[in-house]
Amino acid sequence: MTTSPSDVTELDAFAATIAEAVGGEARVAHGTAKVIVSAETWTEALATARDTFGLGYFSWLSAVDWTSDVAVGDPPAEGTSERIEVLCAVGDLDGRLVIFSTDLDHDEPRLASLVPLYPGANWHEREAAEMFGIVFEGHPQLEHLYLPEGFVGHPLRKSFPLLSREVKPWPGTVDVEDMRTPDEPSTENPEA
Amino acid sequence: MVIDHDQVRHLSEVAVSVELETPEMTLNIGPQHPSTHGVLRLVATVDGERVFDVKPVIGYMHRGYEKLAEVRTYPQITALINRIDWVSGYANEIPFIVAAERLMEIEVPERAQYIRLILTEMARIASHLVFNASYPLELGAATPLFFALRERERVLDLIEGVTGGRFHPNFNRIGGVKPNAGGGPTQRKVSQDLPKGFFEETRAAMERVLSVCDELEDLVAGNEIILARTKGIGVLPVEVGAAYGVSGPNLRASGVPFDLRRIESYLPYDRFDFDVVTAQNGDCWDRWWVRLEEIRQAARIVIQAIDGIPSGPLQAKVPRVIKVPQGEVYVRAENPKGEMGYHLISEGGQGPYRLKIRSASYSNISILPHILEGVLVPDIIAIMGSLDFVLGDVDR
Repeated sequence: MTTSPSDVTELDAFAATIAEAVGGEARVAHGTAKVIVSAETWTEALATARDTFGLGYFSWLSAVDWTSDVAVGDPPAEGTSERIEVLCAVGDLDGRLVIFSTDLDHDEPRLASLVPLYPGANWHEREAAEMFGIVFEGHPQLEHLYLPEGFVGHPLRKSFPLLSREVKPWPGTVDVEDMRTPDEPSTENPEA
Repeated sequence: MVIDHDQVRHLSEVAVSVELETPEMTLNIGPQHPSTHGVLRLVATVDGERVFDVKPVIGYMHRGYEKLAEVRTYPQITALINRIDWVSGYANEIPFIVAAERLMEIEVPERAQYIRLILTEMARIASHLVFNASYPLELGAATPLFFALRERERVLDLIEGVTGGRFHPNFNRIGGVKPNAGGGPTQRKVSQDLPKGFFEETRAAMERVLSVCDELEDLVAGNEIILARTKGIGVLPVEVGAAYGVSGPNLRASGVPFDLRRIESYLPYDRFDFDVVTAQNGDCWDRWWVRLEEIRQAARIVIQAIDGIPSGPLQAKVPRVIKVPQGEVYVRAENPKGEMGYHLISEGGQGPYRLKIRSASYSNISILPHILEGVLVPDIIAIMGSLDFVLGDVDR
């Protein structure tokens, strides 16, 4: 366990070093290191991560729709600015992992593709493109991955309704509403 | 007329090679094909037996779990996510439940952690036994299937005995695991967590698993056809695999000891003695061998865990209504197929604001276009099978 990333101070230092090198901001919480960079420096930052810090393992790429215009689910906390956040987790084979993050315009999100750097980004970007409507510039084949051709809308956008909930209210809602009232911690086994 | 035999042989060869010159054609494999483990479609461009280009078409089983998770409460989500990789359903729950626990800063009781670990390793054994059943079958050897599935059924019986479900246990609770039969106020003091005789049966099952590994090794490693079809086929260099996000046994077969059980601290693996299995060549044979050896290591872990399991509660104290504080966390775990992780973003509600599911098979088969370029048509099946994917884990 010598190179363990669960060693918090080591992870803090590592994230701070990367953030400094790519001109971003490091945030470490709950054992997860996040480096926030601007969309303009996205590919440069990931290239630095790969070439200087040896983060050659592509874990995943996805996005988050930050908006209060929600069709299903709960809205975010008050004062959340409307944006699309793209997250990309890269690591090395010793176990270090850093999540890069950048904010894009909510209505017309565009970002440079990472496929030239990490070929594994290909499918992840296609998925993020169809699910969030992000245009990845320079992607070799930005077609639908999961959704059929001609599908209208971007399902993981918060404004996209969940059709099954539109036609029939969720039966579990009743239970959830009931459980909302007492909020004090229970010392009892919750299953009992 | 004098016939120059050398010349004739030469001319006939020319004639034959002209005759056999083949145009490029498109070969469609799937989406319903026995070797694809579900609904995967491959569009291959072939010239004779040589494959030029392969395009995997996925999404036939896309169920939209990431969207569904946004409208569910945390306890409801575990029922959903153990359907991602159904061959090792139990293992899918762990990283999600640990992610929620990290945000809530809950310390899980040791006994619950051990039970989680035992069941996770059993899920790994079950998953790798399925691979050891199906992979030789795809290469034409039917017998190992019966040996492997017989033992897998016993392991599933044990999982069922504890959790109530063979494939979809839904056994984890935030803060611990589900008490087995402990319902009602009168029974609360009776620790009914593991079924009676669980330890003895598990020990016996692990010993059978270890002996079936020897049998499988005899059956497969001594089979010349399998050797010929897997050795040196589908070689995956480490750097290429890493850049595509390939993980788990597929990457370890290429020689790198990348095992999240040793790297991350989601379960107390640091207390157990086991080897991270690696191989050197990164071909189909090595991927088969690594999985066989990992069954043995998993059985070792299970035996150590049942010997050392502490007594104590199964549940930490948690609020009656689960609300996860605002924050985000990424927790990944070594699933049988590779790195499985959940990026959980909570805005303080009863369900996640966003749950990104990083599944292993998705990244593992994204390498197919690269690794299948230039191989022979029968090698498509050998290579695809050696990557050990499940379509539920690809499409989510």
